[in-house]
Amino acid sequence: MVLASQSASAQLKFFTLQKDSIPVFRGFAVSFDLVGLASMYLSDYGQYEAALRINLHDEWFPIFELGYGKAEHEDDPVTLIRYETAAPYFRIGIDKNLLNQKHGPYRLYAGLRYGFTKYKVDLSRDDLLDPVWFWETSFGVKDEPCSYHWLEVGLGVDAKVFGPFHLGWSVRYKRRIACNEGVIGKTWYVPGFGISDRDALGGTFNVIIDI
Amino acid sequence: MRRLPILLLLSALFIGCSSIDCPVENVVSVQYEVRDKDGAALALTDSLSVVTTQANGKNVLLNITTRNGDQTVLLNRLIGKSSFSLPISYSHPEDILYFCFTDSVKTVVDTVWIKKEDIPHFESVDCSAAFFHNLTDVRFTRNAIDSLVLKNTFVDYDASTVHFYLYPKSSH
Repeated sequence: MVLASQSASAQLKFFTLQKDSIPVFRGFAVSFDLVGLASMYLSDYGQYEAALRINLHDEWFPIFELGYGKAEHEDDPVTLIRYETAAPYFRIGIDKNLLNQKHGPYRLYAGLRYGFTKYKVDLSRDDLLDPVWFWETSFGVKDEPCSYHWLEVGLGVDAKVFGPFHLGWSVRYKRRIACNEGVIGKTWYVPGFGISDRDALGGTFNVIIDI
Repeated sequence: MRRLPILLLLSALFIGCSSIDCPVENVVSVQYEVRDKDGAALALTDSLSVVTTQANGKNVLLNITTRNGDQTVLLNRLIGKSSFSLPISYSHPEDILYFCFTDSVKTVVDTVWIKKEDIPHFESVDCSAAFFHNLTDVRFTRNAIDSLVLKNTFVDYDASTVHFYLYPKSSH
């Protein structure tokens, strides 16, 4: 009985704001992800991503992330497959600051997100030779409509650098909850999610500005 | 905050990992099961060969693989087996196969026309392109074949699904 009461009390404490003289609404912050940007320039896919975060008492942070993901995989040297897609995506969710010292220069976040994207895929491979009949055949689809819903849970850190500028990392576990990958059965890069699979790991490195 | 570098290192490691997951069972073929009039599995008593015509007009034997996978028998002279698989063309509206039943005296040939829809199938840019198929119709001559029944229409990597029941005439 005592244990149950203590557990309920701890849960309540997790969800309620600390009582102090700091106001509940602490402003907004915008952030930009550099991992997706680097991926865009170093590999065949990546994304531009920005986020708007609301600061509630340095404890709870409702967040909206908006991005534009793109993949251009040209003529794979082994499979000779070309894959292209480009589409916007968004995530909406909330972060919780886990540190006891809520109002300090550092934050440790646990977060939850829901993500969605609607994208079209161009896929092709020229000169596919039937190994038995020897007919040359074309392989691919054009503007194949697809969509993806997923959830993310993650941990992140945020450190104040100077003035309104912060830097932060996050690592995320992504879990697909529903998808339509068209007649081809599966897609490859999904804007905002990464490589299509039942689940995926991802991360961000954010430049954050308080506004 | 002393744990921060460890957290950052772990996250970098997770982000750096990647893998290629192409299916191991990646052969698309049509599965046949030979049955008698009562619907029971029937081992072929005549040898069966299957021939098709290539794009260059040349007639070639098709490879037949027994479904139990313990041996691969070249198309020529499949005998004593009750199930086998045959290749299916990547992208062609109709495959024409010649089923040649041979006993010690003669060869009887039946022509089989299989109509299908071809569906490009993609796993990843790292995996070979493939086609799945939807079988829409089958016609055949009845020299040695009594009946050829389309049981399952969708052809993919699943080698356990039987697509056709082949009922040979009792003399074969």
